[in-house]
Amino acid sequence: MSTEDQTKPQDNDPPLDINLLKEIARKSLIDALNSVNGAKTLVLDPTIAGPLGLVTEVSLLKHHGVDKMFWLEPGPLTSSTTNIVYLCRPMIKYVKIIADHIKRHAKESSKHNYTLFLVPRLSSLVSKLLEEEGVLGDVTISAYNLQFIPIAEDVVSLECESAFKEIWVDGDETIVYDSAQALISLQRLFGLFPRILAKGDHAARLVKLLTTYLPQARTSSAPDTLSEISDEFDSLIVIDRRVDMITPLLTQLTYEGLVDELIGIKNCHVELPASLVTPPSGPAPSTSNAPPPPPPPPTSVANLRKESKKKYHLTDQLFMDLRDLNFSSVGKRLNQIARRLDEDYKTSLQAKTIPQLRDFVGKLGGLQSEHQALRLHTGLSELLIPMTRTEQFNKSLEIQQNLLASYNVPEQVAAIEDLISTGTDMQIIVRLLCLASLTAGGIKIKALENIKREILQAYGYNLLPLLLSLASPSLAVLLPNPLPPSTPQAVQALKYPFPSLSKSLRLLIDDSPEALEEVENDISFVYSGYAPISIRLVQCVAQKGGVLSNPAEKEKSQLSNGSDRGKFQAHPIVGWKGFEDILATIPGETLDIVQRGAEGATSSIRNLTRPREKSTTTVVFFLGGCTYTEIAALRWVGRQNRVGRRFLIATTGIITGTSLVDSIAGTRKTTQGDAGI
Amino acid sequence: MPDHPTASWEAMQGSSVFYRRQQLFTLDSKLPNFGEYIVAGCRYGGPIAMMRDSTKIIALNRATPSFAKSQIQVFSSAGEGLLLFSWDQAKIIRFGWTYDERLVVLNEEGVYRVYDLQGDYQQHSLGNEASELGVIDARIHENGMVAVTGSLTLLEVKGWDGGRPMTLANPKLSEPPNSWAVIPPDITVSRHVEVLLSVDNTVYTVDTLESIDQRLSQGPFTHICPSPNGKSLALLTFSGTLLVVSTDFQRRMAEFDTSSVTAEGQIQQVEWCGNDAITVTWDSLVVLVGPFADTLQYFYTGNTFAITEPDGVRIIGPDVCDLIQKVPAPNLSIFRPGSTSPAAILYDAWESFSQRSLKADESIRSIRPELASAVDGCIEAAGQEWEPYWQRRLLSAAKFGRGFLDFYNPTDFVNMGQTLKVLNAVRYYQIGIPLTYSQYTYTSPSHLISRLTSRNMHLLALRISTYLSLKPDVVLKHWASAKILRSRPTNTGTGTDAELDGDEEVCKLIVDKFKELGGADVSYAEIAKRAWEAGRVGLATKLLDHERRASDQVPLLLSMKEDRLALEKAVGSGDTDLVYQVLLHLHQHLTLGNFFRLIEDGGEKLAPASRLLQVYAREQNRDMLRDFYYSDDRRVESAVLALDEASRMSDPASRIATVKSAQKFFSEDKDRGFEAKMMDESVRLLTLQQQLETEAGENTTFFGLSVNETIRACILNGMIKKADKIKADFKVPDKRFWHIKLYALTEIRDFEGLDGFAKSKKSPIGYEPFVRHLVEKGHTKEAVAYVARCDPPKRADLYAECEEWRMAGKECKERGDKRKLEELRKKCPNSMVAREYDQILSTMK
Repeated sequence: MSTEDQTKPQDNDPPLDINLLKEIARKSLIDALNSVNGAKTLVLDPTIAGPLGLVTEVSLLKHHGVDKMFWLEPGPLTSSTTNIVYLCRPMIKYVKIIADHIKRHAKESSKHNYTLFLVPRLSSLVSKLLEEEGVLGDVTISAYNLQFIPIAEDVVSLECESAFKEIWVDGDETIVYDSAQALISLQRLFGLFPRILAKGDHAARLVKLLTTYLPQARTSSAPDTLSEISDEFDSLIVIDRRVDMITPLLTQLTYEGLVDELIGIKNCHVELPASLVTPPSGPAPSTSNAPPPPPPPPTSVANLRKESKKKYHLTDQLFMDLRDLNFSSVGKRLNQIARRLDEDYKTSLQAKTIPQLRDFVGKLGGLQSEHQALRLHTGLSELLIPMTRTEQFNKSLEIQQNLLASYNVPEQVAAIEDLISTGTDMQIIVRLLCLASLTAGGIKIKALENIKREILQAYGYNLLPLLLSLASPSLAVLLPNPLPPSTPQAVQALKYPFPSLSKSLRLLIDDSPEALEEVENDISFVYSGYAPISIRLVQCVAQKGGVLSNPAEKEKSQLSNGSDRGKFQAHPIVGWKGFEDILATIPGETLDIVQRGAEGATSSIRNLTRPREKSTTTVVFFLGGCTYTEIAALRWVGRQNRVGRRFLIATTGIITGTSLVDSIAGTRKTTQGDAGI
Repeated sequence: MPDHPTASWEAMQGSSVFYRRQQLFTLDSKLPNFGEYIVAGCRYGGPIAMMRDSTKIIALNRATPSFAKSQIQVFSSAGEGLLLFSWDQAKIIRFGWTYDERLVVLNEEGVYRVYDLQGDYQQHSLGNEASELGVIDARIHENGMVAVTGSLTLLEVKGWDGGRPMTLANPKLSEPPNSWAVIPPDITVSRHVEVLLSVDNTVYTVDTLESIDQRLSQGPFTHICPSPNGKSLALLTFSGTLLVVSTDFQRRMAEFDTSSVTAEGQIQQVEWCGNDAITVTWDSLVVLVGPFADTLQYFYTGNTFAITEPDGVRIIGPDVCDLIQKVPAPNLSIFRPGSTSPAAILYDAWESFSQRSLKADESIRSIRPELASAVDGCIEAAGQEWEPYWQRRLLSAAKFGRGFLDFYNPTDFVNMGQTLKVLNAVRYYQIGIPLTYSQYTYTSPSHLISRLTSRNMHLLALRISTYLSLKPDVVLKHWASAKILRSRPTNTGTGTDAELDGDEEVCKLIVDKFKELGGADVSYAEIAKRAWEAGRVGLATKLLDHERRASDQVPLLLSMKEDRLALEKAVGSGDTDLVYQVLLHLHQHLTLGNFFRLIEDGGEKLAPASRLLQVYAREQNRDMLRDFYYSDDRRVESAVLALDEASRMSDPASRIATVKSAQKFFSEDKDRGFEAKMMDESVRLLTLQQQLETEAGENTTFFGLSVNETIRACILNGMIKKADKIKADFKVPDKRFWHIKLYALTEIRDFEGLDGFAKSKKSPIGYEPFVRHLVEKGHTKEAVAYVARCDPPKRADLYAECEEWRMAGKECKERGDKRKLEELRKKCPNSMVAREYDQILSTMK
């Protein structure tokens, strides 16, 4: 990747200040805690702790009267304070635990004041259950509205891990409603989205909620931003995960994506061996002599498990630089940085005068932290390399590439079977199998039954519900071909037109060495040659040229023509125009809505269609989660517009194919115990 | 021409501070004698409530309403009767006013009612404890109250929505306090309510956490009164000394001996006048005590009642209703005799101008630099003036001064004009809200509107809100509710038709009015609720059709027993919590059969509700879920549910039985042959595992493992034969079996067995996996043996992986693969090997 791509868009408007969201979340948490007077014991839902750790820190809680903290777990709770504050999502199992605590305390006749904060809002289900348990009268219930949390400078997330499963497996649309509320809050801060585009049935449902709820949310007589079209946003694009099931099934190949796939990133934190995270005692700057990183014995995977682990918050500057690179170029970049760092250190030797020396000492702190970050990421990528060299990893990559190219599908299915026999992780097998079904429009019934049997035998018969869920009409990602005649119409309509999409959206970029340049100049670099459908759809709205050909290519030709316009002025948002036919072939509703403010709507429409000098932000919301690679690809799209458009990525959570399969199978390991704060 | 403003002024502190007594209304004895009544007044020019004080004796033959029953009368400040109701419950302990002008009446059983000015009320309770012990006293502030129970503990109620009372820290009193007061939470430092109790010689400060003895010695106190801003406290001792201290008791601000005032009878009230002076009232005397213990005396013809306002004190006497306050700074600077402030000179200039005197120009010229502030001063002074005559004069002066300014933002001027128009309108005696400018700005215009609507003064409220360009919603909503209550179904037609007509008419009237006045956002549901409460079901349904907010529609629909409609609306809203609300309600009120039928008959429209019910039932009520699937013939779901249950069971026999039942469910669905077969296998496996466990002994578990794991466990435990049998029974493919066995044998380091196994027949997976797996597990030495059996081209690399560099070199040499050798040369671990490679390379050409 050329360094030019790395340069930030060169317009001077400050980007949207999403830290505001963090401040709001923090403020309302403090208000919630302060509403209970005196010292209190905080009992936390483990799934909230991670997200909460992104907006606040323990010291802040302590500062506001939190005496002790416990996980909300079954079993007795002993508290030394009269006030007990529960903070949890409105889930039935939690309510039962809380009721149990209260009853125990009543039996021991220890008197406590109970306050229950539900995230993100009150639930009548919870009060009903507490009533059934006979403890409703003892608990004061209120809500802590935790909505979008910034997890990077251009990404906000609801950090709800099970969103996908809840919508498409359980049919529980709570998260759709909560997302609509969160988007309304976003509009309340920055103004209405002038235009809303959506693809997918649930995305359409979300947008309908958003647009019908607005007049209702706009109740206060005071003028607020909900009646004005925003001048920060130019549009909202909502894409539900069902529209592009293929992308998350593939192995992510960017640095951040790969870390998530192989080690796992949770709420921006990754668990690493303690030796990597803590700087070595007495860092000697002069030892950074070798430009190619000195090869210490690579820590093996088995080793990694045993070693004591430490959480690391992925926020360092170096990581910002590396995260979106294809893993293959990470080594090169690390090398470059090591060289530069070395140079910087060497300047100290040339520093002769006192001011020069002072100058250097001033920079020293920055250099050292950079040095530490470099050490960490070198170590981290060394952890990854052996994992990417395994037979299974490469075999699975190969199958993925072949399936995407629709090359000899039966052979790929056989290859998947071989992978089963070598004892590959169940999640990888299921991902590949679903990928095969989606790209080929189903798997031959005989082969499918055979491989399903293999899976059940190899990994246990308890996976049968998983297989049934995958084939269920709402998900339909694992289907026989041809479909049995008894299949409901709905499933047939969900059949994915992958081969035609592959052409019309230019999904595959040739991976041959000559085309390497091209791969790096398209969003497909994130999967080494495959462009994520979801991002192509965003491009259909926000960078129409990018779908058809490479913007970077054009840029080159422009440069050679002597035109120094540099990158493009982003074109105005005109909806799906030009791609309606392609969108119609993808299952799921397509929507394009122009929102009008309370007054002066016509003028703002006019504003939309003329090119502006000011950058605007396009919000892309992934309902059901998105992967780090999709974020990387969107960032790449954003970088192509020197003037005019930024992306704000909003999602219900960060997913990988493995986390999807785990959530559907219900095999998620319950080891979030030490998450976050 | 009304009196000059200074006519009502009186000086204190050697004429540097002025207080004024503004007469608001003349009452002409419209009110009963305060001496015989318990009175509570509402702030911000609000009404007063009165109840006969049964501890006082009165002459018998006076024509007063019956005394047997408690009766509460409410009057406006202008003496107009607003409300009269009688109380039929237990003895009233206390009554007081809320911020939104509702009357709270608390009785000794801990029951309290919140009345609006129309006499409608909500009833709440302080809980069981309070009703058992009884309530002996209470203090009601604008947003809550604190009650003392019979056991002398303190209960706090926040807000007026019937919230659960909180127990405050126990001050451990042995007898009721001599006097006490509450500082409302919004003006304390901690933002939680503080209670001040006068006990013995001292005062206790009590909040939710602790009770602190302030260690005073002058007590006991007969009156404790916190100032409107919560910063200072007025205390009156039994001996008649008035003390003013800060609320944290750290500073003593003033001390005044009330016995120095020659007055008859006892002190009636100690109230604050704004935040800097205190009013002490006797029977017909009001004494204003300033910050430095200076006094002003005001005489009345009879008993008075004082109400603290944030900017003064309202005194209601037999004949007049007065506002006593410190003269506001802008007015003082203009009207003080001999004032030479810019504003005063501007006013003077304007007066000269209107008298066509030349002096005007001279005066303006002299204050040229401060003219802008002089204009502002006149505008502000106009706001504080009561008489429209003087308001107009001051505004004219401001307008006159404005003419000399080049740039002046007229917003303040316009706003003040508007505000004064509104204020003068509501100060009219028939409306009777003597609201001052600062009170108005403090309480906001919308508060004023709601006060007017609660008096049923809809037209005025509507005009004011249109005038101030506020949304008319609030007014319209209140109007509609009042309309419904007032209108009776017409009796002209016969039977039901007539009623329908009446409903139609009222509904149309309301909807039309809303459309006409632009009240698009009015909640029809609330109005519909009023209609329903008034027994007008037809009207309620009609109105509800106009409601767009499902969350408001649904509860009413449920109480109207429109179950299906409620469920449909809830589903349509997308708010899952609302759906749960309906589902749980219906589950409780319908028979299970009807409940299921309702959901199933809903079809696609109610599908989300059906799915939510399943999510809920899976966690909370599995029996119901089983019934639900069964009644709907959902075999697959039934089977999955059974499987889920099986996975939670620990007893092998029942687990097998449950899996069998799942198998049966699958077999009943002709499309699920595969699943049925799989479950059959599963049962077979479980049974087999049971046997294996008995054979292998205690320590090994087989039960619940997968086929792969079972084979592995067999090999680990040396039951090779069994493993082979499982392979045959479950038709495990060769490839998979070989891998399992390879892994298992490596795990127990049975390298001999592995060797035998490798030689047993030609490996279906080749020998490369052998090498790789052994290397991965660190058995490089054992791995080497298998390299020779691998494909020739791969051998060199595999040797290298086993760290057999020499062999690798040899392999390359034999195959003449120079390129490979060069590749290995780059990776080789030490110079010795490298040298060797170089040697080989040199021999190859």
